[in-house]
Amino acid sequence: MTSQGFPAVGPARVSRELGIWLRIWAVARRHAYVLVRSPHRLFDVTVWPIVDTVLFGSLGVFFVRQGGPSSPGQAGVAYLLSGIVLWHVVYQAQIAVSTGFMEETWSRNLLSLMVTPLRELELVAGIALFGLAKLVMGVGVVALAAYALYAFDVTALGLGLVPVMAVLLAGGWAIALLVIGLMLRFGNGAEALAWGIMFLVMPLGGVFYPVEALPGFIRPISMLLPTTHAFAAGRDLIDGGPMPWGELALAAVGTLVAVAGALAFLAWMLRVFRRRGYVTRYS
Amino acid sequence: MSDVLRARGLLKTYRRGRAVDGVDLTVRRGERVALLGPNGAGKTTTLLMCLGVVEPDGGTVEIAGHRLPRGRSAAMAHVGFAAGYLPLPERLRVGEYLRMFGQLYGLADPDAQALRGLQRFGIPQLAAAMGTELSSGQKTLVGIVKATMHDPGLLVLDEPTASLDPDVALRVRTGLAALCDERGTALLVTSHNMVEVERIAGRVVFLSAGRVVADGPPLEVAARFGRDDLEEVFLHLASARQASEHTEGLRP
Repeated sequence: MTSQGFPAVGPARVSRELGIWLRIWAVARRHAYVLVRSPHRLFDVTVWPIVDTVLFGSLGVFFVRQGGPSSPGQAGVAYLLSGIVLWHVVYQAQIAVSTGFMEETWSRNLLSLMVTPLRELELVAGIALFGLAKLVMGVGVVALAAYALYAFDVTALGLGLVPVMAVLLAGGWAIALLVIGLMLRFGNGAEALAWGIMFLVMPLGGVFYPVEALPGFIRPISMLLPTTHAFAAGRDLIDGGPMPWGELALAAVGTLVAVAGALAFLAWMLRVFRRRGYVTRYS
Repeated sequence: MSDVLRARGLLKTYRRGRAVDGVDLTVRRGERVALLGPNGAGKTTTLLMCLGVVEPDGGTVEIAGHRLPRGRSAAMAHVGFAAGYLPLPERLRVGEYLRMFGQLYGLADPDAQALRGLQRFGIPQLAAAMGTELSSGQKTLVGIVKATMHDPGLLVLDEPTASLDPDVALRVRTGLAALCDERGTALLVTSHNMVEVERIAGRVVFLSAGRVVADGPPLEVAARFGRDDLEEVFLHLASARQASEHTEGLRP
Protein backbone atom coordinates (compact mmCIF):
# COMPACT_ATOMS: atom_id res chain seq x y z
CA MET A 1 0.00 0.00 0.00
CA THR A 2 1.13 3.54 -0.65
CA SER A 3 1.01 6.16 2.05
CA GLN A 4 -2.25 7.36 0.55
CA GLY A 5 -3.85 3.95 0.93
CA PHE A 6 -3.82 2.97 -2.71
CA PRO A 7 -2.60 -0.52 -3.40
CA ALA A 8 0.60 -0.88 -5.41
CA VAL A 9 -1.05 -3.06 -8.04
CA GLY A 10 0.02 -3.71 -11.61
CA PRO A 11 3.30 -4.49 -13.29
CA ALA A 12 6.69 -4.26 -11.58
CA ARG A 13 8.15 -0.77 -11.41
CA VAL A 14 11.64 0.53 -10.86
CA SER A 15 12.57 2.46 -7.72
CA ARG A 16 11.74 6.14 -7.43
CA GLU A 17 15.39 7.18 -7.89
CA LEU A 18 15.91 4.93 -10.90
CA GLY A 19 12.59 6.15 -12.29
CA ILE A 20 14.00 9.69 -12.63
CA TRP A 21 16.97 8.47 -14.69
CA LEU A 22 14.76 6.14 -16.70
CA ARG A 23 12.49 9.04 -17.68
CA ILE A 24 15.45 11.21 -18.68
CA TRP A 25 16.87 8.32 -20.69
CA ALA A 26 13.49 7.67 -22.38
CA VAL A 27 13.31 11.28 -23.56
CA ALA A 28 16.91 11.26 -24.80
CA ARG A 29 16.38 8.03 -26.73
CA ARG A 30 13.13 9.27 -28.29
CA HIS A 31 15.04 12.27 -29.70
CA ALA A 32 17.88 10.09 -30.92
CA TYR A 33 15.34 8.12 -33.00
CA VAL A 34 14.05 11.38 -34.46
CA LEU A 35 17.56 12.49 -35.44
CA VAL A 36 18.49 9.19 -37.04
CA ARG A 37 15.24 9.07 -39.03
CA SER A 38 15.32 12.70 -40.17
CA PRO A 39 18.35 13.14 -42.42
CA HIS A 40 17.73 16.89 -42.74
CA ARG A 41 18.25 17.23 -38.96
CA LEU A 42 21.79 15.95 -39.46
CA PHE A 43 22.57 19.16 -41.38
CA ASP A 44 22.98 20.94 -38.04
CA VAL A 45 25.79 18.62 -37.01
CA THR A 46 27.43 17.92 -40.36
CA VAL A 47 26.87 20.42 -43.16
CA TRP A 48 26.61 23.72 -41.25
CA PRO A 49 29.70 23.07 -39.12
CA ILE A 50 31.74 22.45 -42.30
CA VAL A 51 30.23 25.50 -44.02
CA ASP A 52 31.11 27.66 -40.99
CA THR A 53 34.66 26.31 -40.87
CA VAL A 54 35.25 26.94 -44.57
CA LEU A 55 33.70 30.41 -44.36
CA PHE A 56 35.67 31.69 -41.38
CA GLY A 57 38.84 29.74 -42.13
CA SER A 58 39.02 31.07 -45.70
CA LEU A 59 38.24 34.59 -44.53
CA GLY A 60 41.20 34.43 -42.16
CA VAL A 61 43.52 32.98 -44.81
CA PHE A 62 42.51 35.70 -47.26
CA PHE A 63 43.32 38.53 -44.84
CA VAL A 64 46.62 36.97 -43.85
CA ARG A 65 47.64 36.76 -47.51
CA GLN A 66 46.74 40.40 -47.98
CA GLY A 67 49.09 41.36 -45.15
CA GLY A 68 52.01 39.15 -46.06
CA PRO A 69 53.85 36.53 -43.99
CA SER A 70 54.84 38.92 -41.19
CA SER A 71 51.37 40.29 -40.86
CA PRO A 72 49.92 40.45 -37.32
CA GLY A 73 46.82 39.00 -38.97
CA GLN A 74 48.48 35.56 -38.70
CA ALA A 75 46.87 35.14 -35.30
CA GLY A 76 43.58 36.13 -36.85
CA VAL A 77 43.21 32.77 -38.61
CA ALA A 78 43.62 30.98 -35.31
CA TYR A 79 41.18 33.38 -33.62
CA LEU A 80 38.60 32.74 -36.32
CA LEU A 81 39.02 28.97 -36.30
CA SER A 82 39.10 28.60 -32.51
CA GLY A 83 36.18 31.01 -32.38
CA ILE A 84 34.08 28.88 -34.70
CA VAL A 85 34.93 25.67 -32.84
CA LEU A 86 33.94 27.26 -29.53
CA TRP A 87 30.91 28.96 -31.08
CA HIS A 88 29.58 25.58 -32.10
CA VAL A 89 29.61 24.52 -28.44
CA VAL A 90 27.12 27.31 -27.64
CA TYR A 91 25.20 26.84 -30.89
CA GLN A 92 24.83 23.06 -30.74
CA ALA A 93 23.92 23.08 -27.04
CA GLN A 94 21.26 25.72 -27.62
CA ILE A 95 19.78 24.42 -30.86
CA ALA A 96 19.61 20.80 -29.68
CA VAL A 97 17.58 21.72 -26.60
CA SER A 98 15.36 24.29 -28.34
CA THR A 99 14.56 22.08 -31.33
CA GLY A 100 14.11 19.10 -29.03
CA PHE A 101 11.32 20.95 -27.28
CA MET A 102 9.95 22.10 -30.64
CA GLU A 103 9.84 18.49 -31.80
CA GLU A 104 7.41 17.73 -28.97
CA THR A 105 5.18 20.59 -30.10
CA TRP A 106 5.44 19.70 -33.82
CA SER A 107 4.50 16.09 -33.12
CA ARG A 108 1.74 17.23 -30.73
CA ASN A 109 3.25 15.04 -28.05
CA LEU A 110 3.35 17.67 -25.32
CA LEU A 111 -0.06 16.91 -23.81
CA SER A 112 0.68 13.18 -23.71
CA LEU A 113 3.99 13.86 -21.94
CA MET A 114 2.35 16.19 -19.43
CA VAL A 115 0.00 13.41 -18.35
CA THR A 116 2.84 11.13 -17.25
CA PRO A 117 5.08 11.27 -14.17
CA LEU A 118 7.67 13.13 -16.29
CA ARG A 119 8.66 16.42 -14.64
CA GLU A 120 9.46 19.51 -16.67
CA LEU A 121 13.11 19.52 -15.64
CA GLU A 122 13.41 15.83 -16.53
CA LEU A 123 12.10 16.61 -20.01
CA VAL A 124 14.68 19.36 -20.43
CA ALA A 125 17.41 17.13 -18.98
CA GLY A 126 16.53 14.32 -21.39
CA ILE A 127 16.64 16.64 -24.37
CA ALA A 128 19.91 18.17 -23.10
CA LEU A 129 21.42 14.70 -22.66
CA PHE A 130 20.57 13.89 -26.26
CA GLY A 131 21.86 17.36 -27.19
CA LEU A 132 25.26 16.46 -25.71
CA ALA A 133 25.59 13.70 -28.30
CA LYS A 134 24.69 16.17 -31.03
CA LEU A 135 27.17 18.66 -29.61
CA VAL A 136 29.99 16.11 -29.71
CA MET A 137 29.13 15.40 -33.34
CA GLY A 138 28.83 19.05 -34.38
CA VAL A 139 31.92 20.32 -32.55
CA GLY A 140 33.84 17.24 -33.65
CA VAL A 141 33.04 17.98 -37.29
CA VAL A 142 34.19 21.62 -36.95
CA ALA A 143 37.41 20.57 -35.22
CA LEU A 144 38.13 17.91 -37.82
CA ALA A 145 37.34 20.26 -40.71
CA ALA A 146 39.59 22.97 -39.21
CA TYR A 147 42.41 20.45 -38.91
CA ALA A 148 41.90 18.88 -42.34
CA LEU A 149 41.40 22.11 -44.29
CA TYR A 150 43.54 24.66 -42.41
CA ALA A 151 45.90 22.52 -40.30
CA PHE A 152 44.43 24.10 -37.15
CA ASP A 153 44.55 21.73 -34.18
CA VAL A 154 42.15 22.94 -31.51
CA THR A 155 43.44 20.39 -28.99
CA ALA A 156 46.77 22.26 -29.03
CA LEU A 157 45.05 24.78 -26.76
CA GLY A 158 45.35 22.17 -24.03
CA LEU A 159 43.23 21.37 -21.00
CA GLY A 160 42.32 25.02 -20.64
CA LEU A 161 39.73 24.33 -23.31
CA VAL A 162 37.71 22.14 -20.95
CA PRO A 163 36.48 24.86 -18.55
CA VAL A 164 35.97 27.27 -21.48
CA MET A 165 33.79 24.72 -23.25
CA ALA A 166 31.93 23.87 -20.03
CA VAL A 167 31.01 27.52 -19.53
CA LEU A 168 29.92 27.85 -23.17
CA LEU A 169 27.84 24.66 -22.90
CA ALA A 170 25.99 26.02 -19.88
CA GLY A 171 25.61 29.36 -21.69
CA GLY A 172 23.98 27.57 -24.65
CA TRP A 173 21.58 25.80 -22.30
CA ALA A 174 20.66 29.08 -20.63
CA ILE A 175 19.72 30.57 -24.01
CA ALA A 176 17.71 27.42 -24.83
CA LEU A 177 15.74 27.69 -21.56
CA LEU A 178 14.95 31.29 -22.43
CA VAL A 179 13.76 30.27 -25.91
CA ILE A 180 11.58 27.45 -24.51
CA GLY A 181 10.06 29.89 -22.03
CA LEU A 182 9.20 32.25 -24.87
CA MET A 183 7.67 29.39 -26.87
CA LEU A 184 5.54 28.39 -23.88
CA ARG A 185 4.26 31.94 -23.67
CA PHE A 186 3.97 32.93 -27.33
CA GLY A 187 3.53 29.58 -29.06
CA ASN A 188 5.23 28.39 -32.21
CA GLY A 189 5.55 31.99 -33.40
CA ALA A 190 8.55 32.28 -31.07
CA GLU A 191 10.38 29.42 -32.78
CA ALA A 192 12.36 31.77 -35.01
CA LEU A 193 14.07 33.07 -31.86
CA ALA A 194 15.91 29.78 -31.48
CA TRP A 195 18.03 30.75 -34.47
CA GLY A 196 17.57 34.51 -34.39
CA ILE A 197 18.87 34.94 -30.86
CA MET A 198 22.13 33.27 -31.89
CA PHE A 199 22.68 35.94 -34.53
CA LEU A 200 22.52 38.49 -31.69
CA VAL A 201 24.85 36.60 -29.39
CA MET A 202 27.45 35.92 -32.09
CA PRO A 203 28.54 39.51 -32.79
CA LEU A 204 27.93 40.70 -29.22
CA GLY A 205 29.67 37.75 -27.62
CA GLY A 206 33.08 38.50 -29.06
CA VAL A 207 33.32 35.12 -30.71
CA PHE A 208 36.08 36.15 -33.15
CA TYR A 209 37.40 39.43 -31.78
CA PRO A 210 37.96 41.22 -28.48
CA VAL A 211 35.32 43.55 -27.09
CA GLU A 212 37.52 46.52 -28.04
CA ALA A 213 36.78 45.82 -31.70
CA LEU A 214 33.09 46.62 -31.16
CA PRO A 215 31.66 50.15 -31.43
CA GLY A 216 31.92 51.90 -28.08
CA PHE A 217 28.23 52.04 -27.28
CA ILE A 218 27.82 48.26 -27.75
CA ARG A 219 30.74 47.27 -25.53
CA PRO A 220 28.87 47.47 -22.18
CA ILE A 221 26.24 45.06 -23.50
CA SER A 222 28.94 42.74 -24.77
CA MET A 223 30.73 42.80 -21.42
CA LEU A 224 27.53 41.69 -19.69
CA LEU A 225 27.37 38.48 -21.72
CA PRO A 226 29.20 35.62 -19.99
CA THR A 227 30.10 34.11 -23.36
CA THR A 228 32.19 37.20 -24.13
CA HIS A 229 34.56 36.34 -21.28
CA ALA A 230 34.68 32.67 -22.24
CA PHE A 231 35.68 33.53 -25.82
CA ALA A 232 38.24 36.03 -24.48
CA ALA A 233 39.67 33.22 -22.34
CA GLY A 234 39.86 31.06 -25.48
CA ARG A 235 41.86 33.75 -27.29
CA ASP A 236 44.23 34.07 -24.32
CA LEU A 237 44.93 30.37 -24.69
CA ILE A 238 45.57 30.84 -28.44
CA ASP A 239 48.09 33.55 -27.61
CA GLY A 240 49.93 31.03 -25.46
CA GLY A 241 49.30 32.88 -22.23
CA PRO A 242 48.71 31.28 -18.83
CA MET A 243 45.32 29.97 -17.84
CA PRO A 244 43.09 33.08 -17.85
CA TRP A 245 41.45 32.47 -14.48
CA GLY A 246 40.10 35.99 -14.21
CA GLU A 247 38.16 35.81 -17.48
CA LEU A 248 37.06 32.26 -16.68
CA ALA A 249 35.75 33.28 -13.26
CA LEU A 250 33.79 36.17 -14.80
CA ALA A 251 32.40 33.81 -17.44
CA ALA A 252 31.48 31.13 -14.89
CA VAL A 253 29.74 33.53 -12.50
CA GLY A 254 27.92 35.22 -15.36
CA THR A 255 26.82 31.86 -16.73
CA LEU A 256 25.55 30.74 -13.32
CA VAL A 257 23.50 33.92 -13.07
CA ALA A 258 22.23 33.40 -16.64
CA VAL A 259 21.22 29.78 -15.98
CA ALA A 260 19.48 30.73 -12.73
CA GLY A 261 17.69 33.60 -14.47
CA ALA A 262 16.67 31.39 -17.38
CA LEU A 263 15.32 28.72 -15.02
CA ALA A 264 13.32 31.32 -13.10
CA PHE A 265 11.96 32.70 -16.39
CA LEU A 266 11.05 29.19 -17.57
CA ALA A 267 9.24 28.43 -14.30
CA TRP A 268 7.30 31.69 -14.63
CA MET A 269 6.34 30.98 -18.25
CA LEU A 270 5.32 27.45 -17.31
CA ARG A 271 2.94 28.85 -14.69
CA VAL A 272 1.47 31.20 -17.31
CA PHE A 273 1.23 28.24 -19.72
CA ARG A 274 -0.74 26.18 -17.21
CA ARG A 275 -2.86 29.09 -15.98
CA ARG A 276 -3.96 30.14 -19.47
CA GLY A 277 -4.41 26.62 -20.81
CA TYR A 278 -1.94 27.13 -23.68
CA VAL A 279 -1.47 23.37 -24.00
CA THR A 280 -4.48 23.36 -26.31
CA ARG A 281 -2.28 25.10 -28.89
CA TYR A 282 -0.41 21.83 -29.24
CA SER A 283 -3.22 19.28 -29.10
CA MET B 1 -15.01 2.40 -2.24
CA SER B 2 -12.03 4.84 -2.38
CA ASP B 3 -11.96 7.90 -4.61
CA VAL B 4 -9.33 7.75 -7.32
CA LEU B 5 -10.22 11.28 -8.48
CA ARG B 6 -11.65 13.97 -6.26
CA ALA B 7 -12.13 17.46 -7.70
CA ARG B 8 -13.84 20.12 -5.62
CA GLY B 9 -15.13 23.54 -6.62
CA LEU B 10 -13.16 23.83 -9.85
CA LEU B 11 -13.20 27.32 -11.33
CA LYS B 12 -11.66 28.55 -14.56
CA THR B 13 -12.10 31.82 -16.35
CA TYR B 14 -10.54 32.60 -19.70
CA ARG B 15 -10.60 35.95 -21.46
CA ARG B 16 -13.77 34.97 -23.30
CA GLY B 17 -15.55 34.22 -20.05
CA ARG B 18 -16.04 31.61 -17.36
CA ALA B 19 -15.35 28.13 -18.71
CA VAL B 20 -15.83 26.11 -15.53
CA ASP B 21 -17.94 27.33 -12.66
CA GLY B 22 -17.68 25.33 -9.45
CA VAL B 23 -17.47 21.78 -10.76
CA ASP B 24 -17.29 18.92 -8.26
CA LEU B 25 -16.28 15.58 -9.75
CA THR B 26 -15.54 12.33 -7.97
CA VAL B 27 -14.59 9.05 -9.61
CA ARG B 28 -14.36 5.99 -7.41
CA ARG B 29 -12.17 2.98 -7.90
CA GLY B 30 -13.55 0.75 -10.67
CA GLU B 31 -16.25 3.25 -11.62
CA ARG B 32 -16.97 4.13 -15.26
CA VAL B 33 -17.95 7.76 -15.61
CA ALA B 34 -18.73 9.78 -18.73
CA LEU B 35 -18.27 13.55 -18.72
CA LEU B 36 -20.77 14.94 -21.19
CA GLY B 37 -22.02 18.21 -22.53
CA PRO B 38 -22.33 20.26 -25.68
CA ASN B 39 -19.37 22.10 -27.20
CA GLY B 40 -18.20 24.87 -24.88
CA ALA B 41 -19.75 23.23 -21.82
CA GLY B 42 -16.37 23.03 -20.09
CA LYS B 43 -15.58 19.32 -20.50
CA THR B 44 -12.07 19.66 -21.87
CA THR B 45 -11.09 22.39 -19.42
CA THR B 46 -12.43 20.29 -16.54
CA LEU B 47 -10.56 17.26 -17.81
CA LEU B 48 -7.31 19.20 -18.26
CA MET B 49 -7.60 20.67 -14.77
CA CYS B 50 -8.19 17.19 -13.33
CA LEU B 51 -5.03 16.04 -15.12
CA GLY B 52 -2.95 18.93 -13.79
CA VAL B 53 -2.28 20.33 -17.25
CA VAL B 54 -4.33 23.48 -16.72
CA GLU B 55 -4.20 25.29 -13.39
CA PRO B 56 -7.64 26.03 -11.91
CA ASP B 57 -8.40 29.55 -10.67
CA GLY B 58 -10.06 27.93 -7.69
CA GLY B 59 -10.80 24.51 -6.27
CA THR B 60 -8.74 21.40 -5.59
CA VAL B 61 -7.85 18.20 -7.40
CA GLU B 62 -6.65 15.00 -5.77
CA ILE B 63 -5.68 11.86 -7.69
CA ALA B 64 -5.05 8.60 -5.82
CA GLY B 65 -4.52 10.68 -2.70
CA HIS B 66 -1.98 13.02 -4.32
CA ARG B 67 -2.95 16.68 -4.29
CA LEU B 68 -2.21 18.65 -7.48
CA PRO B 69 -0.14 20.50 -8.49
CA ARG B 70 2.48 19.55 -5.88
CA GLY B 71 1.90 15.81 -6.22
CA ARG B 72 1.41 15.84 -9.99
CA SER B 73 4.27 13.50 -10.88
CA ALA B 74 3.27 10.90 -8.28
CA ALA B 75 -0.40 11.25 -9.21
CA MET B 76 0.26 10.72 -12.91
CA ALA B 77 1.77 7.30 -12.18
CA HIS B 78 -1.84 6.28 -11.43
CA VAL B 79 -3.31 7.88 -14.56
CA GLY B 80 -3.52 6.79 -18.18
CA PHE B 81 -4.60 9.28 -20.81
CA ALA B 82 -5.50 8.96 -24.47
CA ALA B 83 -7.35 11.25 -26.83
CA GLY B 84 -8.73 10.45 -30.24
CA TYR B 85 -7.32 13.71 -31.60
CA LEU B 86 -3.71 13.14 -30.54
CA PRO B 87 -1.44 11.66 -33.22
CA LEU B 88 1.49 9.32 -32.65
CA PRO B 89 4.92 10.89 -33.02
CA GLU B 90 5.90 10.41 -36.65
CA ARG B 91 9.41 9.06 -36.44
CA LEU B 92 8.85 6.30 -33.91
CA ARG B 93 7.83 2.70 -34.32
CA VAL B 94 4.87 1.61 -32.22
CA GLY B 95 7.09 -0.57 -30.02
CA GLU B 96 9.52 2.31 -29.44
CA TYR B 97 6.68 4.68 -28.64
CA LEU B 98 5.20 2.27 -26.11
CA ARG B 99 8.60 1.53 -24.57
CA MET B 100 9.17 5.24 -24.12
CA PHE B 101 5.89 5.73 -22.28
CA GLY B 102 6.45 2.53 -20.30
CA GLN B 103 9.75 4.00 -19.12
CA LEU B 104 8.07 7.31 -18.30
CA TYR B 105 5.66 5.33 -16.11
CA GLY B 106 8.63 3.62 -14.46
CA LEU B 107 7.84 0.10 -15.68
CA ALA B 108 10.60 -2.42 -15.05
CA ASP B 109 9.82 -4.31 -18.27
CA PRO B 110 8.04 -1.91 -20.62
CA ASP B 111 8.43 -4.14 -23.69
CA ALA B 112 6.55 -7.02 -22.06
CA GLN B 113 3.78 -4.68 -20.91
CA ALA B 114 3.58 -3.13 -24.38
CA LEU B 115 3.18 -6.55 -25.99
CA ARG B 116 0.52 -7.51 -23.45
CA GLY B 117 -1.35 -4.30 -24.19
CA LEU B 118 -1.14 -4.77 -27.95
CA GLN B 119 -2.46 -8.32 -27.55
CA ARG B 120 -5.31 -7.14 -25.35
CA PHE B 121 -6.56 -4.93 -28.16
CA GLY B 122 -5.75 -7.48 -30.91
CA ILE B 123 -2.94 -5.56 -32.62
CA PRO B 124 0.38 -7.28 -31.70
CA GLN B 125 1.41 -7.17 -35.36
CA LEU B 126 1.70 -3.36 -35.17
CA ALA B 127 4.70 -3.34 -32.80
CA ALA B 128 7.20 -2.85 -35.63
CA ALA B 129 5.08 -0.40 -37.67
CA MET B 130 5.94 3.28 -37.93
CA GLY B 131 3.38 5.68 -36.51
CA THR B 132 2.83 7.16 -39.96
CA GLU B 133 1.86 3.77 -41.41
CA LEU B 134 -1.18 3.33 -39.17
CA SER B 135 -4.82 4.04 -39.93
CA SER B 136 -6.61 6.47 -37.62
CA GLY B 137 -8.33 3.55 -35.90
CA GLN B 138 -5.01 1.79 -35.31
CA LYS B 139 -3.51 5.00 -33.95
CA THR B 140 -6.37 5.30 -31.49
CA LEU B 141 -5.89 1.71 -30.37
CA VAL B 142 -2.15 2.23 -29.89
CA GLY B 143 -2.94 5.39 -27.90
CA ILE B 144 -5.21 3.36 -25.63
CA VAL B 145 -2.54 0.66 -25.23
CA LYS B 146 -0.13 3.44 -24.22
CA ALA B 147 -2.63 4.72 -21.67
CA THR B 148 -3.30 1.32 -20.13
CA MET B 149 0.07 -0.47 -20.23
CA HIS B 150 0.92 0.52 -16.64
CA ASP B 151 -2.47 -0.61 -15.28
CA PRO B 152 -3.51 2.86 -14.11
CA GLY B 153 -6.02 3.36 -11.35
CA LEU B 154 -7.71 6.04 -13.45
CA LEU B 155 -8.01 5.92 -17.21
CA VAL B 156 -8.99 9.20 -18.86
CA LEU B 157 -10.12 9.03 -22.46
CA ASP B 158 -11.06 12.13 -24.42
CA GLU B 159 -13.20 11.26 -27.45
CA PRO B 160 -11.55 7.84 -27.71
CA THR B 161 -13.68 6.39 -30.50
CA ALA B 162 -14.29 9.56 -32.53
CA SER B 163 -12.54 8.21 -35.63
CA LEU B 164 -13.28 4.51 -35.28
CA ASP B 165 -15.52 2.27 -37.36
CA PRO B 166 -18.11 0.26 -35.39
CA ASP B 167 -15.98 -2.89 -35.42
CA VAL B 168 -12.91 -1.21 -33.93
CA ALA B 169 -15.07 0.80 -31.54
CA LEU B 170 -16.52 -2.48 -30.27
CA ARG B 171 -13.02 -3.88 -29.81
CA VAL B 172 -12.08 -0.79 -27.81
CA ARG B 173 -15.17 -1.03 -25.61
CA THR B 174 -14.63 -4.74 -25.00
CA GLY B 175 -10.95 -4.27 -24.18
CA LEU B 176 -11.69 -1.39 -21.84
CA ALA B 177 -14.49 -3.24 -20.08
CA ALA B 178 -12.22 -6.26 -19.55
CA LEU B 179 -9.46 -4.02 -18.20
CA CYS B 180 -11.80 -2.24 -15.81
CA ASP B 181 -13.28 -5.51 -14.57
CA GLU B 182 -9.94 -7.30 -14.14
CA ARG B 183 -7.94 -4.47 -12.63
CA GLY B 184 -10.55 -2.31 -11.01
CA THR B 185 -9.49 0.57 -13.24
CA ALA B 186 -11.73 3.63 -13.04
CA LEU B 187 -12.72 5.18 -16.34
CA LEU B 188 -13.40 8.84 -17.05
CA VAL B 189 -14.43 9.34 -20.63
CA THR B 190 -15.75 12.17 -22.77
CA SER B 191 -17.66 11.46 -25.93
CA HIS B 192 -20.24 12.94 -28.23
CA ASN B 193 -21.51 9.46 -29.05
CA MET B 194 -24.35 9.02 -26.59
CA VAL B 195 -25.12 5.44 -27.64
CA GLU B 196 -21.56 4.48 -26.86
CA VAL B 197 -21.70 6.29 -23.53
CA GLU B 198 -24.80 4.36 -22.52
CA ARG B 199 -22.94 1.13 -23.30
CA ILE B 200 -19.76 1.89 -21.45
CA ALA B 201 -20.56 4.24 -18.56
CA GLY B 202 -22.30 3.39 -15.33
CA ARG B 203 -22.59 7.05 -14.44
CA VAL B 204 -22.81 10.23 -16.47
CA VAL B 205 -21.98 13.78 -15.45
CA PHE B 206 -23.57 16.41 -17.67
CA LEU B 207 -21.96 19.83 -17.90
CA SER B 208 -23.61 22.92 -19.29
CA ALA B 209 -22.13 26.43 -19.23
CA GLY B 210 -19.36 25.20 -16.96
CA ARG B 211 -21.64 23.70 -14.32
CA VAL B 212 -22.71 20.18 -13.42
CA VAL B 213 -26.39 19.96 -14.32
CA ALA B 214 -26.88 16.23 -13.86
CA ASP B 215 -24.97 13.37 -12.24
CA GLY B 216 -26.16 9.78 -12.08
CA PRO B 217 -26.79 6.54 -13.97
CA PRO B 218 -27.63 7.18 -17.66
CA LEU B 219 -31.28 6.14 -17.53
CA GLU B 220 -31.93 8.05 -14.30
CA VAL B 221 -30.41 11.19 -15.79
CA ALA B 222 -32.52 10.83 -18.93
CA ALA B 223 -35.64 10.35 -16.80
CA ARG B 224 -34.80 13.40 -14.69
CA PHE B 225 -34.96 15.51 -17.86
CA GLY B 226 -38.12 13.73 -19.01
CA ARG B 227 -36.29 12.18 -21.97
CA ASP B 228 -35.92 8.65 -23.23
CA ASP B 229 -32.16 8.55 -23.66
CA LEU B 230 -28.92 10.54 -23.28
CA GLU B 231 -28.97 11.78 -26.85
CA GLU B 232 -32.22 13.62 -26.17
CA VAL B 233 -30.79 15.07 -22.96
CA PHE B 234 -27.75 16.22 -24.91
CA LEU B 235 -29.87 17.88 -27.61
CA HIS B 236 -32.05 19.50 -24.96
CA LEU B 237 -29.03 20.99 -23.18
CA ALA B 238 -27.43 22.10 -26.44
CA SER B 239 -30.58 23.90 -27.59
CA ALA B 240 -31.07 25.46 -24.13
CA ARG B 241 -27.49 26.76 -24.30
CA GLN B 242 -28.05 28.19 -27.77
CA ALA B 243 -31.26 29.89 -26.65
CA SER B 244 -29.48 31.38 -23.65
CA GLU B 245 -26.64 32.68 -25.82
CA HIS B 246 -29.17 34.14 -28.26
CA THR B 247 -31.02 35.90 -25.43
CA GLU B 248 -27.76 37.28 -24.05
CA GLY B 249 -26.93 38.54 -27.53
CA LEU B 250 -30.25 40.42 -27.74
CA ARG B 251 -29.67 42.22 -24.44
CA PRO B 252 -28.90 45.92 -24.78
